[in-house]
Parts: sequence; structure tokens; C-alpha cells
Amino acid sequence: MRILLSSICAFFLIGCASYPKKNGFRPIGDIAIDNLNPYFSDTSKDYVYKAKIDAFDQSFGGLFIVKKLGNTNHRLVFTTEMGNTIFDFTFQEDNFKVNHILKAMDKKILTNILKKDFKALIKEHPPIHEVFSTQGDIVVETEILSKKHYFYLVDHRLTKIARVKSGKEAVVFQFSGDTRSYAKEIRILHKNIKLQIVLTALE
Amino acid sequence: MPSSLHMVAFVPIKVCVCLSILTVFLVPGKLNAQTPMADEEATTLRKKVKTLADVTKTITSNFTQYKHLDFLANDIESKGKLAFKAPDLVKWEYVKPFAYSILFKEQTLYINDDGNKSNLDVGGSKIFKQLNNLITASIRGDLFDDGQFDILYFKKDGINIVHFMPKDVQFAEFIKAFHITFNESGEVDEVKMVEPSGDYTQIIFSGRKTNQPLSDADFTQ
Repeated sequence: MRILLSSICAFFLIGCASYPKKNGFRPIGDIAIDNLNPYFSDTSKDYVYKAKIDAFDQSFGGLFIVKKLGNTNHRLVFTTEMGNTIFDFTFQEDNFKVNHILKAMDKKILTNILKKDFKALIKEHPPIHEVFSTQGDIVVETEILSKKHYFYLVDHRLTKIARVKSGKEAVVFQFSGDTRSYAKEIRILHKNIKLQIVLTALE
Repeated sequence: MPSSLHMVAFVPIKVCVCLSILTVFLVPGKLNAQTPMADEEATTLRKKVKTLADVTKTITSNFTQYKHLDFLANDIESKGKLAFKAPDLVKWEYVKPFAYSILFKEQTLYINDDGNKSNLDVGGSKIFKQLNNLITASIRGDLFDDGQFDILYFKKDGINIVHFMPKDVQFAEFIKAFHITFNESGEVDEVKMVEPSGDYTQIIFSGRKTNQPLSDADFTQ
């Protein structure tokens, strides 16, 4: 009976363990982290991506356009390939503004998802809670819009962001490419809903 | 997440694409010192376009598209080619910097997004039927429909520019105005789709050929 109770307790403890514990991250204390997310940080650059969106068994595409207008000011626009604007957002400081969105897409649940995803994408310096190491890489625990986000740095380059809920990854952002200044490909993968966005930089 | 949410996102995007296709055939001006046409000149232009449309069975053309957003440093440029066959076959194909095509054929939209194919049956949709009618009407030269558009005629240095402002509320949500530039022959040289925000897409045609033989093979997904 004692062994059973101990097993049950251990099961719950492991199940309720934090994301860092579950993944065996080792805290490494204070270290300087510069430019945590540089991928949309250059005000001189127009960031234009070909987008492919798979949402609830439907696929559609378009152009995903980002421009940094100021220190904490980004404009994000999604258009069809033929140029029609589907949505147009502004992130300024902690404010989020919908400049334009198709009426049929103007649903709070959808705009909230997009707001959270894109905020994580463009946030350059989120507040850092703790820094870990794992298998030689660095993982930085941050907070964006009251949710924990873990930034994975491989050789000081951001390769992944994981938004975590209840100790599990809810959304994963993957960055790939051979430059440090922008990501040639970005994947946003939702684990709990059927939504996946793939962005490929237009050269 | 509502199960119907994917449809409310998917269908309007297809509407946007369709609206974009029909602008190719809208009758077409430049800024800076463009002057309004006299009524007789506007009538002459309409007749010229209709006459040309009556004898036009196929069109192929290259195009360069510029997407202008005010906050960007540069317009987003893309290139492609267009094919049209009367009465209602249209293929719009981007080749650079991405591969994407849309084919409007027999009440269906066929999309090929870099190898990913999808289609949408639009036969049961009132708005798509309207779009199809607009496309075919433009070929006949009957696009100058005061019931559907507020129309303004301008000229500059021998170039004719016609502004079409959609009256339909649903259309107007996507497009505030089409500015179509015609050459002296009545052919479309340029199309500008202006959004309610003031941002626009400009499409410039080149290498236009009419009445070249086109087969069904030229209109595959």
C-alpha cells in the first residue's frame, strides 16, 4: 500500500513538474543575453515571407509582411499573393491594434491566437526569468503576454521558441537558415489545435 | 475553436483572389495632370474597348506586379504571366519570386501553390457568379456598368485611365477602386487595385498577344 501511494505521488509529481524539470534543464544563473530575438529587429529591412497556412483541414497561402517601425513598434500584414490585404496589425509597446481584418475573420478567438503568436515572433527583449543549459545549448525562460516562453539558443542563435502551458509545449516556433540576422524559414506549430503556419523568406 | 472558423478564413481569401483576376479585363489613367474626359471621349473609349473585345478570343501577357504598402521601404515585386480564352477561361500564374497559379475554369477555382493543389467549387456562390459575369462582360466590352460601379474617365498624354469604384458593399470591403490604364488601341496596359486603406497593387502588362491559339492544356492547374 505504501509503495502504491508512493508511486501515485511520484506519478503526480512528475506529471506536474515544470517544463525545465521535465526536460532536464540545468539552471546556470545570471549570464548576459544580448539580442534574444533579432529576426525582426532591423528597421531598414522589409521582411517579406511566402506564407502557407494549414488550418483545420484547409490550406491557403499568401504573403506575410513585417516591418519594424520603431523601438517596440511593429506592423504585420498578411495579403493574398495578388495583393489583397487579409489582416493588418500593429504591435506598439504593450498595445495591439487591428488596422484591418476581413469581416469574416474578425473573430476574437482568431485575433487572440494571431496576436499571441505574432507577439512571440517579434518580441526582441522579453523579460528573462531564468537561464538554463541543456546538452550544450542555452534555454532562456521568458514571459510574453503572461505566458511562459522558452527561447532555445544554439551557438547563440535562436532556433526555437516554445510557449508552455501546464508544463507542456502548446505552440512551437522553429527558426532555420544560415544567417543570424533573419530567419529564412519560420514554422509556427500549434500542438493543441489544427493550426500550422510556415513562412519562407522571399529573397 | 469553432469548427466553421477555417471556412470563414478560407472563403474570403478566395473572393479576394477572384476579384484580383477580374481586374485584368476591366477597362482601363496616370496621376499628375490627368484631366477628366469629355462625355464624347468616354463614349469613344467604351466603343473602342467593346469593338476590340468582340474580336478578342485569347490573350496572353506577361505582368509585373507591385504591392505598395505605405510603411514599407520598397514595393513588393512579383512577376508572372496571364492567359485568357473566351468565354471565361483565365489563368494567372506567378513565376517569381514564388510559384503560384490560379485558374478560373467552369465555376471552379484551381490553385497551385508551389505544387500544393487545391480547388474551390464556386458554382453555388452568388458572389462568384457575379464575378464570372463581370469577367465575361469585360470581354464583351460591357463592363461599363453604372449599376455596379461609379465610373470616372481621365486622360493624360494620350493615355486613357478609367476609375471604377464598386457599389457593392462586399466588393468595396476589398477594393475601393480599380484604376485601369488603356493604350490607344483600347488594350489594358496597367491595372491598379486601390484598397480602402489607400494601399494598392499595381499590375503592369507587357508582351501582350491576342488571338494566339490556346488549347485546354494551357489552362491546367
